[in-house]
Amino acid sequence: MREFAYFRAADVGQAVATVAADPEASYLAGGTTQLDLMKDGVLEPDQLVDITRLPLRGVVREGDTLRVGALTTMEELAADPTVAGRLPFVREALLLGASVQLRNMATIGGNLLQRTRCRYFRDPTVPACNKRRPGTGCAAIAGAARMHAILGASEHCIALHASDLAVPLVALDAIVRVRGADGERSIPLTDFYLLPGDTPDRENVLVHGELITAVDVPLPAEGTRSGYLKVRDRASYEFALTSAGVALLLDGGVIVEARVALGGVGTVPWRAREAEDILRGAPPGPAAFRAAAEAALRDPFTVPGTAFKVELAKRTLERALRTVSGVTS
Amino acid sequence: MTILERPRHVGPGVDRVDGPQKVTGAARYPNDFSHPDMAHAALVRATIAAGRVARLDTGAAESAPGVLAVLTHLNAPRLATGPSALLATPPPPLRDDRILYYGQYVAVVVADTPERASAAARRIEVGYEPAEPLLDIHDPRAERLPDPWGSDASWGDTRAALDDAHVVIEASYTTAENTNNPLGLFSTLAEWDGDTLTVHDSTQWPTRVRATLAQMFGVPEAGVRVLVLYVGGGFGAGLRVWPHVILTAMAARQTGRPVKLVMTRPEMFTGIGHRPATVQHIRIGATRDGRLTAIEHESRSTVAIEGDNIEPCATVSTAAYACPNVTAHDEQVRLNIPWTNSMRAPGEAQGNFVLESAIDELSHALGIDPLELRLRNYAEVHPRSGLPWSSKALRECYEVGAERFGWSRRVPEPGSMREGDWLVGYGMAGISYFWYQAPCQARATVRGDGTAYVRSAVTDIGTGTYTIMTQLAAELLGLEQDRVTFGLGDTSMPPGPQAGGSGLTAALGSAVHAACRNLVRAFLDAAAADPASPLAGCDLDDVAVTGGRVHRVGEPERGESYAGILAMRGLDELSADGDSTPRTPQEAGMAPAGPFGARFVEVRVDPELGRLSVARVVSAIDGGRILNEKLARSQIIGGTVGGIGMAMFEDTVSDPGTGRIANATLGDYLVPVNADIPDMDVSFVGGPDAFNPIGVKGVGEIGLVGMAAAIANAVFHATGKRIRSVPITIDRLLL
Amino acid sequence: MTTLTVNGVDHRLDLDDARVTLLDALRDRLGLTGTKKGCDQGACGACTVMADGKRILSCLTLAAQCEGREIITIEGLGVDGVLHPMQEAFVRHDAFQCGYCTSGQIMSAVCLLAEGRAGSDADIREFMSGNLCRCGAYPNIVAAIREVAGAGGGHA
Repeated sequence: MREFAYFRAADVGQAVATVAADPEASYLAGGTTQLDLMKDGVLEPDQLVDITRLPLRGVVREGDTLRVGALTTMEELAADPTVAGRLPFVREALLLGASVQLRNMATIGGNLLQRTRCRYFRDPTVPACNKRRPGTGCAAIAGAARMHAILGASEHCIALHASDLAVPLVALDAIVRVRGADGERSIPLTDFYLLPGDTPDRENVLVHGELITAVDVPLPAEGTRSGYLKVRDRASYEFALTSAGVALLLDGGVIVEARVALGGVGTVPWRAREAEDILRGAPPGPAAFRAAAEAALRDPFTVPGTAFKVELAKRTLERALRTVSGVTS
Repeated sequence: MTILERPRHVGPGVDRVDGPQKVTGAARYPNDFSHPDMAHAALVRATIAAGRVARLDTGAAESAPGVLAVLTHLNAPRLATGPSALLATPPPPLRDDRILYYGQYVAVVVADTPERASAAARRIEVGYEPAEPLLDIHDPRAERLPDPWGSDASWGDTRAALDDAHVVIEASYTTAENTNNPLGLFSTLAEWDGDTLTVHDSTQWPTRVRATLAQMFGVPEAGVRVLVLYVGGGFGAGLRVWPHVILTAMAARQTGRPVKLVMTRPEMFTGIGHRPATVQHIRIGATRDGRLTAIEHESRSTVAIEGDNIEPCATVSTAAYACPNVTAHDEQVRLNIPWTNSMRAPGEAQGNFVLESAIDELSHALGIDPLELRLRNYAEVHPRSGLPWSSKALRECYEVGAERFGWSRRVPEPGSMREGDWLVGYGMAGISYFWYQAPCQARATVRGDGTAYVRSAVTDIGTGTYTIMTQLAAELLGLEQDRVTFGLGDTSMPPGPQAGGSGLTAALGSAVHAACRNLVRAFLDAAAADPASPLAGCDLDDVAVTGGRVHRVGEPERGESYAGILAMRGLDELSADGDSTPRTPQEAGMAPAGPFGARFVEVRVDPELGRLSVARVVSAIDGGRILNEKLARSQIIGGTVGGIGMAMFEDTVSDPGTGRIANATLGDYLVPVNADIPDMDVSFVGGPDAFNPIGVKGVGEIGLVGMAAAIANAVFHATGKRIRSVPITIDRLLL
Repeated sequence: MTTLTVNGVDHRLDLDDARVTLLDALRDRLGLTGTKKGCDQGACGACTVMADGKRILSCLTLAAQCEGREIITIEGLGVDGVLHPMQEAFVRHDAFQCGYCTSGQIMSAVCLLAEGRAGSDADIREFMSGNLCRCGAYPNIVAAIREVAGAGGGHA
């Protein structure tokens, strides 16, 4: 780790002003990504601004929106009664991620900003990584890729966005509330992440110094069922090979509302709107589910190590749709 | 003195004597030691797999805060080479500019704090002149080493028998590279005082570390002391003296300060060995009624340039079944990879996977139950030598295991058993593990207060050596266990062998047996000096030991206490040494047997998503005399978890072009977690082995063996899909 | 100077280097070596300690962040030399072999009970999965926790 200065911010304004004024400064919240990458030598800030004691913690229901303070931990959010009652797939995604220890540390804001697990990105001795050193290429494509993206990927970058939580949150059209040196703004989570394109180093729309203060989660209509299915090699404590977050509202034998997002496959948390369009208005059943899965996985970018994920992701989504709808045949 | 006939102390499940130390955090591992004046070392590793260091810029590191020294091949002292015997020491680090594998050390930085050392290490710039590395086990340019251990065997006429067989099974299998990954980061703390050197080191073989350091630094062995009271696992990784150990001692000598080095987890993937990948080919011939007529087993494994490694895989097929025609051939391929090395059940783990999968394939082809097929080809004598086994209860393993598992409920047709959406599969494997034992010495002392201290310079890597030797010594000296202390992990004690090859319990137990007998004899001699002693004229066979007393057999009142004998003679204590050297099979007229075992596994397969889980494992093990059933069971359970890792998760992946290990963290290299592991049923069968005086056979490794085959066989039974490569991951299983 | 409260005792520390993690501060500066470093990357759980009653990883926590927080380590679990019920159960069930992961396992297990997650073997397994045991003592770890949970949980 390079030497850095540690500064504990007294309030949000001071934190934002401090980081905004220092191009080499970073926020420190749960630390589970930040410190890990600093130890690896991938991140080398000269100053860490500790925000963990700022009053950005807690979950408040405001009408049909759940406002989640950015410093709420994953464990705290999973324990929230509204989440348990109205957002089962958010709770499941939280509890299927990481370990209890990490969930006690990791914050919701930090979770959304977690960096890819790509070992080519995380090892500074690898010369070619467009995300870490723009213009150098992508060593993962010809390398040992497996835990990599097949959607939104290109020859420039196949790094996966590995958040579980972000999957249901993009499905729900969550809103990210941000404070920067120039004031506050709100960004739909579906617009928050940037596809790598030819600038994989730019992962989201935040400008330096902007701080996530809260995430607003719209509650789905009463009666909506949801579920998060995560497929991985180990039974626990592993990132997803594929995952699917699904919320369905059924009425009179027809799907009246569908929210679908995929994890483990996208360079960003992957909202599958085409799949939703197919499901909406259709009777739940194998035909609609397969059609939705086919639509969700259209035009994948694969390398030999990730090719299997295309079919696996389709089946993962089909299984999730079956489970959530209760319609198995 | 008759012993172990009606044991009081050995056998039952005694709690670990070091348990309270371990659960309170008081047990001190090598990296828990420190020194007030200590400096810290950090390593710099090569980022090419072959070539030369062309340029080194150490200026920024040398001028970084707190840095005391930077050693590279340009300024490192030249050292002698270490021992080249069994499990050779790698060549001296920093000897020249050549790079032979990705991750080889090119520099070591010493600084006043660990943070500063590792930060400065990052500032060293290394320019390379790369060469094209040899990285692929199939690369025709790579050097091949046929029969590297002289273990190849051939009897009968295998080719002709295969031609004549009613049924032939022929298949190729692969096993992945695995990395030992003991949880304890390997660490060394070295302190010089003139030519004397004290080292705390994560090792399974302290006497080898001492000999190696003395030889490489050219100092007297008597002046080198190696300490390892506890070690955070090894699984074979601690069987060699790796370059980081040498570099730490070198750094301490150069800076004149004690130096501590704690490896990083990524360094643990390149610096302390790994289980080699194998490619194996097997052909089995049989009659229609399931008699084996031929086995031809060929294996190729990897070895580092300038490395060595003992990994006999095909050899597994020479000890398992009665078969008139057998050919086994192993070879190694030299590649620009980090050193391959023993990892729990080297060779056996991979060879058994192939043989026991192929037997399962044969059983399916013949329509004979897999258990029945194994029983029909039971090896009543050692297949290769024809000698009788020193013990063998494999048949009981099969019987007890099958009964406890409920093997008879297995419906033979693949894919025929279900539970909900999950396919259910039953699979099994048999194991005939190899035998190994090295010479060992121990010393036993009884003091005036009637307590005993027994010791040997070995290690307890978690197997329970502290505990079982305490029990054994208590038994042999007739003392309660709380009156006995067993010491280890210090080379000032009598030399002992490595904790490896499942051989320590037999070697050390035999030495402790000898030392305790010699000590009782010494007490008899001391007592005999007094003609009035009730023990006068007795020799060992005339006496028994109980309750801290030596007395005539059958006459407990006619004896003397240890304390009494010492007091009478004015002695503080009496000590005696013991050593053990195994006989040869020819001397003994029998084939020394390792442990045997049978594994029965139930798996669940989610056919749609390729998910696999192990629902039940039943193991029946012939481990000879079991000194402590609780700890022996833990060894089998732990080995089984390792076997599940090999079967389902573990795969050290390298970049095809560079040889960089692409998953060198515990987040990326998957080992089993708690949720992957079901409850397990373990039974011990058989009785004392005839080859060593205490009748034991080591059980440290057998627990891992057979799991890969049993799981693969169960997957076949569940799905009809034969998977011949481990690990069996979702992408391989997706139907 | 920074004050770290560990096992109920305030320690004044000169954190001259902000890089010092809680793990390294405990081990190198306070001599509390019971907490172990298995990966230093948040992937193994060996460094698990309690902070304000919650289990966390001390390797991914800066010492400086912990000022004013109540840190409990394995050394703080027993009272006056008497083992905590979880420590006793780990010995009785042989829930470790080399012992290196054990401090983290026990800290995790004590928290698991406080979290109310030891109700079934499946829950114990799932919520103990952040603590790797390379010796493979998992079934015995589950047995030890099951026993303490069944006996009412012990004190944290």
